[in-house]
Amino acid sequence: MRLFENLNINFMSKRTTFYVVSSIILLIGLLNILIRGLQFGIDFKGGTEVAIQFEKPINIAEIRREVDKIGLGNVEVKTFGGSTGILLRTEMQEIPSNVIPKVKSKIEAIIENTLPGIEKKVIDSTSSSITYNFSDPQTAEVINNRLFEAGFQTAKVSEEPTNTGVVVRLGIADWIKENFSEKFVNNPFNVLKEDKVGPKVGKELKTDAIIAVMLSLIVILIYLGFRFKFAFALGAVIALFHDILITLGLFAILYGVIPGLNLEITVSVVAAFLTLVGYSINDTVIVFDRVREQMKLHKSLPLEENMNHAINRTMSRTLITVFTTLLTIIVLLIFGGEVLRGFAFALFIGMITGTYSSIFIASAFVLEVANRTKTKIEF
Amino acid sequence: MKEIRFRLFLVLGAIALSVYLLIPTYKDYLNNKKVTQQLSFLEDSLKKSNPNLPAIQIKEFINNKRDSILSNNPDYRAAREKRVKLGLDLQGGMYLVMEVNTAKLLEKLAKDPDDQFNQILKEAENESRLSNENVVSILARKLKEKGIRLSRYFGTIREDDDKIISRLLEQEADAVTRAIEIIRNRVDQYGVSEPNIQKQGSRRIVIELPGIAREEEAKRLLQGRALLEFKLVKDPEFAIPIMKRIDEVLAASLKGDSLTGDTTKTVKADTSKQQNLTEEQFAKEHPFFAIARLIDPQGRIPDAFVKESDRQKLNAYLERPEVKKVIPDNVEFLYDAKPESGPDGVKYYRLYMLNKTPELTGGVIIDAKSNIDPTTSAPIVTMQMNSEGAREWARITGSNIGKRCAIVLDGVVYSAPVIQSKIPSGNSQISGIPNLDEAKLLEIVLKAGALPAPVDIIEQRSVGPSLGQDSIKQGSNSVLFGYLLVALFMAFYYKKAGTIADFGLIVTVLLILGVLAGFQATLTLPGIAGIVLTMGMAVDANVIIYERIREELKTGKTDRAAVDAGFKNSLSAILDSNITTFFTGIILYQFGSGPIQGFALTLMIGILTSLFSALVLVRIIFDYMVSKGYKINVG
Repeated sequence: MRLFENLNINFMSKRTTFYVVSSIILLIGLLNILIRGLQFGIDFKGGTEVAIQFEKPINIAEIRREVDKIGLGNVEVKTFGGSTGILLRTEMQEIPSNVIPKVKSKIEAIIENTLPGIEKKVIDSTSSSITYNFSDPQTAEVINNRLFEAGFQTAKVSEEPTNTGVVVRLGIADWIKENFSEKFVNNPFNVLKEDKVGPKVGKELKTDAIIAVMLSLIVILIYLGFRFKFAFALGAVIALFHDILITLGLFAILYGVIPGLNLEITVSVVAAFLTLVGYSINDTVIVFDRVREQMKLHKSLPLEENMNHAINRTMSRTLITVFTTLLTIIVLLIFGGEVLRGFAFALFIGMITGTYSSIFIASAFVLEVANRTKTKIEF
Repeated sequence: MKEIRFRLFLVLGAIALSVYLLIPTYKDYLNNKKVTQQLSFLEDSLKKSNPNLPAIQIKEFINNKRDSILSNNPDYRAAREKRVKLGLDLQGGMYLVMEVNTAKLLEKLAKDPDDQFNQILKEAENESRLSNENVVSILARKLKEKGIRLSRYFGTIREDDDKIISRLLEQEADAVTRAIEIIRNRVDQYGVSEPNIQKQGSRRIVIELPGIAREEEAKRLLQGRALLEFKLVKDPEFAIPIMKRIDEVLAASLKGDSLTGDTTKTVKADTSKQQNLTEEQFAKEHPFFAIARLIDPQGRIPDAFVKESDRQKLNAYLERPEVKKVIPDNVEFLYDAKPESGPDGVKYYRLYMLNKTPELTGGVIIDAKSNIDPTTSAPIVTMQMNSEGAREWARITGSNIGKRCAIVLDGVVYSAPVIQSKIPSGNSQISGIPNLDEAKLLEIVLKAGALPAPVDIIEQRSVGPSLGQDSIKQGSNSVLFGYLLVALFMAFYYKKAGTIADFGLIVTVLLILGVLAGFQATLTLPGIAGIVLTMGMAVDANVIIYERIREELKTGKTDRAAVDAGFKNSLSAILDSNITTFFTGIILYQFGSGPIQGFALTLMIGILTSLFSALVLVRIIFDYMVSKGYKINVG
């Protein structure tokens, strides 16, 4: 089978149309980024995040109501994976001090319910943990396990068999778990993951991500400048920049629009951008490679004609290579699960715009430079 | 034909090597399955016999049991050590990033800190939370603004600020090293299998603890203050008779056990089967000495060597009530921190019998320094104590000359030097250290007592085992469906040439896994995504080559000429495009952590192996077909 075998389209003459198309998409995307903003994941924002999987399907509105009651302020609630999973997130790092007495009384109620009338002493209390001492090691052991089952993170003070102390963590995730296990008695759940990221880490990561993307663009600029002519390298990098901006714009436009698609900027989305930069340059390289070959063969022909010829000749391989990669990305989008979805989506959009831009932006840019400066590019 | 042969050897060699490297992974998978199945019976019976026991406790017990079986049986262990490791996101566990709290460290280091200093330090600490600047440099700047010299609080009066700053930064880096050593030591004791502890940047530590459910427990372990103690080692005249008593009591009670039998018997039988008869008999009669072999058979040194794999067994023996009865109350057994390798490559730990009550604790140490002795040019470590410690130390050393005094950090012995003479000033020198690295380690350990390394947890992530299981399933489905889709398309579009590319793709995936196993790299979910993506990208090289061959055939070239020209003319485009992707892979590896690095790694390995497949393997098949006169069919 052969697709696009004798393709002969004058792509370069239509370039203004594509400038307009690109500009409109970019503009809509940028407006959305400015107005709606990009939603950053916990990696960049910091905070606490818990993913919980229930046994039976749950009503998300009910979960929201429950979460509002436990005094943690603004907690985001989303579905995670399927109809039984939820993701809870808050920007808080610790339980606010006005809720702590509530948490403590809950812990003490559990202790009281387990072993009524038991003697206990608070020997240490901080903003993130509380330490109890009991009369004998056996009691400490029982309470330790009971509180752990109730959703709290607990530890014995020492591993010695004579230990009588139990430390209970007062964490946001624990408080949520405890409330849920009480509220949804008939629908047991299982904690899938729990993340807590300090604000400083997120801030640094943002800087690092921008540096990494910029660095990769510069590396490509240098490499292609060395392999081709500088105008070509610049065209390619502008095309890549265009791809990233469009993908980012789509993340802003589509955030919360498609159910089940969690479009927030996480570390893996940044990884997708970097992969995109490295991969989407491939099409451009193939076109440029052919342009260079054409220019060597037909020195007298105008650049525009050589470019058209090169694009038409390489069209089928450009589309097929992107198609095979898109196949695997679609597989990741469908089968990869919640964790990989944002990553796969960024790649999916980026690959498509990457192919488009390698034809209509990268080559067109080189042509514009050549026309404007009236220089003849020669290899 | 001749030139094909060499390349064919290359390809077959690479495939064979990959398969060889993947055998342990497969074996480990089978072992895991087997042990899990064995333990499921135990789990059921435990549930039946103890209906009141919480499910969590049973699960924990079973998990511990499985870990200990898998890591103690030498066969299982060999496979486990060489398998492709799974990342935390696939097997569940805890990921922590800790940072040295420089402000607390500075507070400790400052001489005569006044209110003003504490005030400025607090401001500097708050400011550092929001900026990338280091606390030390912020503090220096703030003091300068107020016209105070740094030397008022740190260093000596003659030193200028720059020198003090660089020294403080050094202290900070030291604290990180110290914290890592303390954490590594504790994680080892906690019995986490395959922990990963790494330094990140200048003041951070990344800790990965697979399969940890009780976070709070692990976290307390990591953050608590390190305990450094000096304990006297027992004399042989005292230690040997006790060891002999333990041996006798143990032999008698084990004989009793084997008659009644217990649930762990099946497991025990497995490990002892390989030993020959006389050894077995020795083990029966002297169960203690069989696994804790005396270093000196004449019994002049009461230390024993214990195989790494026997440690748990010995600990269980020592915990038995009848054994505990014969061990005096004021005595305990402790292991060396680092194992020594025996002639057969087996790791042995030295076991010491020590006084339970420490003579001194590490709080009295002011400083420690590793050095080279100028006269003997052997590595030494010097330590200074404060006046109170020095007084005690003089008494201890004076009355125990010729005895050994062990340096114990968090229950593990780092060194047990012999006391040569009475040390009146508290300035001691430890010699007889095998190399400078060990000396450096001892310095770190001694300082741990004097200067705790305050660390804060700044990032904490935990993945439950069920999410890990789901991810493994999703990952392997993606690999399977990704391959099928790409392979079907290639076979459909390029016919016979397409199926050759599909074969190349299988080899590519095999090689990626082989390389991962060979480098003992960790496979993460993004890593699997990298493999899936690589499959889509790997055929690109084939597509470029095939399209070119088609074009060459169209110009009327013979099959042989078209294949040659096709491969030759597409080489530069293939290399260009793969090199750029490889570059971004390197940048990504630098930028990311954990899972993302896994992705970058598989992406880079994927690029190399797919190039190998497309340019070498597929080429051989084409060359072979051309030489045999088969029709080249590129769709």
